Amino acid sequence: MSHAVRGLGIDVGSTTAKMVAVGSNAEMIWHWLEPAEPRVEEQVARFLDKAAAALGPLSGIPSVATGYGRGLVPAMRRVTEITCHARGVYREFAVGVTLVDIGGQDSKVIRVGSRGETADFSMNDKCAAGTGRFLEVIAQRLAVPLERLGPIALGTSEEVAISSTCTVFAESEVISLIARGVAVGAILRGLHRALVKRVVAMIRTVGLVAPLVLSGGGACNPAICQLLAEETGMAVHLPRHPQLVGAHGAALIALEKDAD
Amino acid sequence: MRKAVGPIARRSEVIRQQRERGGWVAAVLPIHYPRALLRSFDLLPIEVWGPPGIDPDHGAAHVQAYVCSIVRNALSFILSGGLDVADVIMVPHTCDSLQGLGSLLLDLVRPRQPVVPFYLPRGERECDIQFLAEEFRAISRQLEEITGRSPSLLELIECVKRDEEADGLLGSLHHRRNELALNSYEFYRVLRAREYLPSEDFVELARSCLACAAEAPNVGVPLILSGIVPEPMSMLALIDELGARIVADDLACCGRRLYPNGVSEDPFVRMAERIVRSAPDPTRGSPLADRSEHLLRLAAGSEARAVVFHGVKFCEPELFDLPVLREELKRAGLPSVIIEVDLNDPLSHQVRTRLEALLEMIR
Repeated sequence: MSHAVRGLGIDVGSTTAKMVAVGSNAEMIWHWLEPAEPRVEEQVARFLDKAAAALGPLSGIPSVATGYGRGLVPAMRRVTEITCHARGVYREFAVGVTLVDIGGQDSKVIRVGSRGETADFSMNDKCAAGTGRFLEVIAQRLAVPLERLGPIALGTSEEVAISSTCTVFAESEVISLIARGVAVGAILRGLHRALVKRVVAMIRTVGLVAPLVLSGGGACNPAICQLLAEETGMAVHLPRHPQLVGAHGAALIALEKDAD
Repeated sequence: MRKAVGPIARRSEVIRQQRERGGWVAAVLPIHYPRALLRSFDLLPIEVWGPPGIDPDHGAAHVQAYVCSIVRNALSFILSGGLDVADVIMVPHTCDSLQGLGSLLLDLVRPRQPVVPFYLPRGERECDIQFLAEEFRAISRQLEEITGRSPSLLELIECVKRDEEADGLLGSLHHRRNELALNSYEFYRVLRAREYLPSEDFVELARSCLACAAEAPNVGVPLILSGIVPEPMSMLALIDELGARIVADDLACCGRRLYPNGVSEDPFVRMAERIVRSAPDPTRGSPLADRSEHLLRLAAGSEARAVVFHGVKFCEPELFDLPVLREELKRAGLPSVIIEVDLNDPLSHQVRTRLEALLEMIR
């Protein structure tokens, strides 16, 4: 089956590592996702073994690496996650979009132009506010599994205002709220609101143009989707594979380079 | 084959030489100040842009967490004895944080040296020139008391003209940067030697660089660098490594201080004219329209394809303007990116990603 694979995209993020293989029509034919490991080279080698086992020999297949760990990946080319996300989302939606990607340790907003080009972008990558890490820290503090955060937040109409967008300060604020007997659901809803407001501030720096698309691990959280829609007044669209947009974009760039 | 620029004297060496020949030293905080006035009193101005990479803890007790690292580091540097070599500390009222530093030094954490603060007008009118000239006259009286010296007006105007010659050559370096045998890092080391070299020494350095032409024009995606100070300087090497080059700048320590010659024969007025008539600067209250026009003019003149706004974290004057400036540039088809740094942080992977993404946008 190796003849079907025409490009590989490898996205080594801070929280998850992803690989996507595309065929000659740019369709995603294989993908893999697992938590990122500190030994990037070893993990990528294992990914390639898995891909080869599923797809056949991969030698000569063009590859593009992206994400935080892209420099450690033995790929034909390295491209930033900004460009790869733009390419991946444009492939799926075929129009210019505003893409919000909420990852484990960074968030980005990308204005994708009508030809699929990056028109502007904004990143939040030095502070956990507005990223998945913000919710991870709080989930740990509240002893709630990560995947339950969103449903619990949406399961109540009560909401307390969390004034701190700083993760460390927000955690302290949560401790005070718990001590006052505030319901966990109301706290979680307030925390999601704080995260989304931080993201909306980033959206404003690049300008919001419909449609609004949400990707990254944050897109797996229904409360982020709903509150983002509330805060922007705009429908939020999800890609088929929200966490694979960057890797898919990288594979598409590899495919284009192959065609060149 | 590139010709290397000869060694540039280090700050410590320049200070030692000044001391050895009986001269004094003035530590000067950013950005604009009457350099010639200090020289007329045989005070060598040594600018203090932080400095970067020092332990900022000495200053932490005195300033808020959101004060920029230039001010925080400067205070720490003073408190830890880093400026003991200076005889005078000059603090222009550049922004609220620097004014706060001036107040701290005058009233609370008094250093052993006299502190000379002064106000900068926020405008470009004739009355702003007159106001600034009066400030300079007041500083002159203060320096007479401090140093016991009384330079004549003739001596002062000679210092002003020497500065004009040095700044003229500084302008030539900026305009001919693409022809010089210097990479970005080397080029900005030369420009920033103006922060401490006596004007006459800078003239020599500038002339030697201008005589050192590259065999072929420098290539790379042309960018404008805007902001306060290009720290960490390793970012300049990164820009070269990524296949880009800085073709013009709007930096507070560089391009915003290409002071034009003055016209008045009154040296105080002439020094004021030079500062007030220089490139738009948010710390001097320049209108946003002037700033965006200036950036677009720089871009047109240098064929720059994007602007890198390289700010120091918490720098209010810079940050206030950015959304409108970016929008104006975007409207004109010029993409931009914002990079924020703390003077104590090394070059981060995030900075690299932002620069790479910007270049991917325009390539």
